[in-house]
Amino acid sequence: MIETFRALQTQLEDRPHLLRLGRLFSETVLIEVEGQEVYLTFDKGHLVEIAEGPSRKTPWRFALRTDADALRQFWQSRPAPGFHDIFGLVKIGRGRIDGDILCLVKNLRFFKEVMALARAEGGAA
Amino acid sequence: MSIESIIGQYVTVTVAGAPRRIYFESAGQGRPVLCLHTAGADTRQWRHLMNDAEITAQNRLIAFDMPWHGKSLPPEGVQTEEYLLTTEAYIKTVLAVVDALGLDRPVLAGCSMGGRIALQLAALHADRFSGFIAIEASDFQPAWYDIDWFHRPDAHGGEMGAALVSANISPYAPEAERWNTLWMFMQSGPGVFRGDLSFYTRDDSLIARLPQIDTGQTPVHLIVGAYDLTCTPEDAKRTADAIPGATLAVMDELGHFPMSEHPAGFRPFFIDALARMPAGAAKAA
Repeated sequence: MIETFRALQTQLEDRPHLLRLGRLFSETVLIEVEGQEVYLTFDKGHLVEIAEGPSRKTPWRFALRTDADALRQFWQSRPAPGFHDIFGLVKIGRGRIDGDILCLVKNLRFFKEVMALARAEGGAA
Repeated sequence: MSIESIIGQYVTVTVAGAPRRIYFESAGQGRPVLCLHTAGADTRQWRHLMNDAEITAQNRLIAFDMPWHGKSLPPEGVQTEEYLLTTEAYIKTVLAVVDALGLDRPVLAGCSMGGRIALQLAALHADRFSGFIAIEASDFQPAWYDIDWFHRPDAHGGEMGAALVSANISPYAPEAERWNTLWMFMQSGPGVFRGDLSFYTRDDSLIARLPQIDTGQTPVHLIVGAYDLTCTPEDAKRTADAIPGATLAVMDELGHFPMSEHPAGFRPFFIDALARMPAGAAKAA
């Protein structure tokens, strides 16, 4: 998973439209997959730090919690119904979003498209 | 250069004692088919079907922008009124348009909240229509989000709404049509999507009315996309099962806005739905 986020970090730098969309987004997001924590810290749309947990002292704005198989399916180039969107994961009971959800919704297009960047390589987590 | 055959016009109707200036489009000839858009969008969702020469050869497709949507202005008093769509106002508006345009028992095709109101009309005013095509329509959907997110002074409700509803678009949708579909949500007036969702997520009165629908008089056909998170195939099946004689088609590769997000994928399902409707009203005026 961590390798996928590192690849995604590089891809984000090659997407000027996403950096423009995220120019007001400077937050830390927790991705938790079956207990494995990854903290993604964004600064003005740039993904500046990817830190593995566990950590009890890293503040985060919102969190996406899911399982490894669901994330693998989410990153397929054409995911099955429910796995095609982070809210889809929630809807089918394979994900949970916690924290400042309004912050997520205000930056929803940016965050969803950043998370989906891993699909550009054809999937595989 | 190619000029499309869609004609756009305005008509003023009266709803709840006040005028509503309604924008509508029409294309084709023959059996009238009145088309209703989803929440937070407008008539443009039907652009592909209205430009489909095979469909319009025998069907006159008419679509209108609900007041507050698209090119239909909000009523006088907009500056102080909180827009909250109700079942009653929606029904009155649809019937007022049917009357104003002189439509003789049209087929009613609605998507999402348009499908919901089509089923309400099937239960309460079936005599005004010849059949019902309910797309991405269900008996009731409580909100899995906070509808107040989409009308606030510190963020763009349209952009947030578009980002949310993108969850309902299939990954099979052509990229250009995905963004055309989302653009309408981005253009939606302040508070309009929220006001539509108020109707869609809070009024459960249809549930008790579904068994009243007489599909022997007016057929009801439901169509649902597998990628629709808002009205899932399970939601549509539950709804169809509650209507004696209703039929249901599931589209494996489509989402919540099929006619707009993936026109080629939706086309055969709409043609099939039209074939299930009566050939045309022959009633003399």
